Amino acid sequence: MKYDVVVVGSGPAGSVTARFAAENGAKVLMIERRQEIGTPVLCGEGVSRKIDDWDMLEGDRWIAGRMDGARIYSPDQTCVTLSADQAGNETGYVVYRDIFDRELARRAVKAGVTIMMNAQATGLLKEKGKIKGITVNHFDEELEVKADIVVGADGVESKIGYWGGIDTTLKPKDLETCAQYTLTGIDCKDAYCDFYLGRKIAPGGYIWVFPKGKDSANVGIGILASLSEAGMARKLLDDFIKKDLRFKNAEPVRFLAGAVPVAMPIETVRDNLILVGDAARHVDPITGGGLTHCLEAGKIAGEVIGKAVKTKNFSQDFLMEYETRWKETVGRKIKRNYMVKEILLGMEDKTFNMLADSLKEYNFEELSTLGLIKALVTKHPTLLMKLKPLLKVSKEERKDK
Amino acid sequence: MGKPKAKVDKKKCLACGGCISVCPHDAISWIGNKAFVDDEKCISCAICIRICPVGAISGDGGF
Ligand SMILES: Cc1cc2nc3c(=O)[nH]c(=O)nc-3n(C[C@H](O)[C@H](O)[C@H](O)COP(=O)(O)OP(=O)(O)OC[C@H]3O[C@@H](n4cnc5c(N)ncnc54)[C@H](O)[C@@H]3O)c2cc1C
Ligand code: SF4
Ligand code: SF4
Repeated sequence: MKYDVVVVGSGPAGSVTARFAAENGAKVLMIERRQEIGTPVLCGEGVSRKIDDWDMLEGDRWIAGRMDGARIYSPDQTCVTLSADQAGNETGYVVYRDIFDRELARRAVKAGVTIMMNAQATGLLKEKGKIKGITVNHFDEELEVKADIVVGADGVESKIGYWGGIDTTLKPKDLETCAQYTLTGIDCKDAYCDFYLGRKIAPGGYIWVFPKGKDSANVGIGILASLSEAGMARKLLDDFIKKDLRFKNAEPVRFLAGAVPVAMPIETVRDNLILVGDAARHVDPITGGGLTHCLEAGKIAGEVIGKAVKTKNFSQDFLMEYETRWKETVGRKIKRNYMVKEILLGMEDKTFNMLADSLKEYNFEELSTLGLIKALVTKHPTLLMKLKPLLKVSKEERKDK
Repeated sequence: MGKPKAKVDKKKCLACGGCISVCPHDAISWIGNKAFVDDEKCISCAICIRICPVGAISGDGGF
């Protein structure tokens, strides 16, 4: 089997990269180790409404609900509210990730992508040190797939980068370890997403409640892996649910474990090789959100791959256009938010309480982490000192706009 | 033989991939869509044990 491109992994990053590579003239194979695209769902399923502008998803079958805003609860239960009305801008959706992922895959197929299921990449094919494709275990049969470019869209558990000589191993302080129930039989009073912070509640992370319609919600937890003990994520989540009266009559219809990289931007290209999505650690280190980044970076990757195939240049230098472009956009935000994450991790619960107290009446201009950071800096100029390295980054960002 | 190695309880593993992403010795891979530790590669650092959100990994014989 010979293709221009083989994409490993059929999550959002894989499907979007595959689609845009195919639309730009490449012959693309996408492989997936699982037996169904999109399941099991390993996600909180919250996504910003800015995806509306990107022509990625058609129809609305992938939408479970629309968000009207967010509430953040500090350890002493002080509530900071970010409402869509107030900010006058868009919030987001809670989606059905299984349908979401299959919609993206459908668009890839429409563009001409071939898909192989039950197919696990087991290694890179190399000739004289050059990457020539991958080895695949397909229904227990060993196959060779030749391709000029291998795309590692193989998620947090990625091996493609490692095999290609990129150090993708995460330090425990750069991983959030997660658990989530989808609960039903609850009364979702409104369409707000709730976040709960605190060292005892979720060390180095948070608990979230994302409503999915009127009587169901994703209730999940992420804790920093360096502060975790065996089974701790699940245990803390169970404790939280038990104590919250909203969930008194709730029953689970789904339980999942998850892992989210919260790392600084890494290298993502080699000769004949590209990493994208969670495999490239394309996740916001504060929120743990990765979906929008997968779509943005996947589109760039697909476009650059298209050019590479046309000019038959698969060198690291040529593919570097992809890395430069994602680092200028998605990467800037990841770098900035990583620095904020480091600062937040150093704060005690009482500092969070104090900050929440000062923001409880605040009118946010922007319903985003950046909006929140801006408000903090406005309210607490002394924080400026600590946020100095971060502001340098946001200044660069402004210059570019 | 040497030190005890990490061991995944296949029945408990929910295939989140977290252990694979942090293992400093590339000792964990998917086998049958569950995490599996290669004893030859495992250096018994116990990182994977602590980060598993559902407590599916233990030190075989304890470490
Ligand atoms: C608990 C949790 C909650 C989250 N909540 C949110 C949220 O609310 N909003 C948000 O934006 N983001 C959220 N995220 C992050 C988001 O889920 C990820 O950023 C996103 O799924 C990454 O997409 P991807 O395509 O890079 O990887 P994935 O979706 O993980 O896809 C990777 C695919 O590669 C396949 N694969 C892996 N190895 C191989 C191999 N060797 N051969 C073949 N196939 C392989 C896998 O089976 C998988 O299908 C959350 C994550 C978790 C764990
Ligand atoms: S961290 Fe635990 S649940 Fe996740 S893949 Fe590893 S053993 Fe399975
Ligand atoms: S104990 Fe350490 S080396 Fe062994 S599998 Fe776990 S993380 Fe890898």
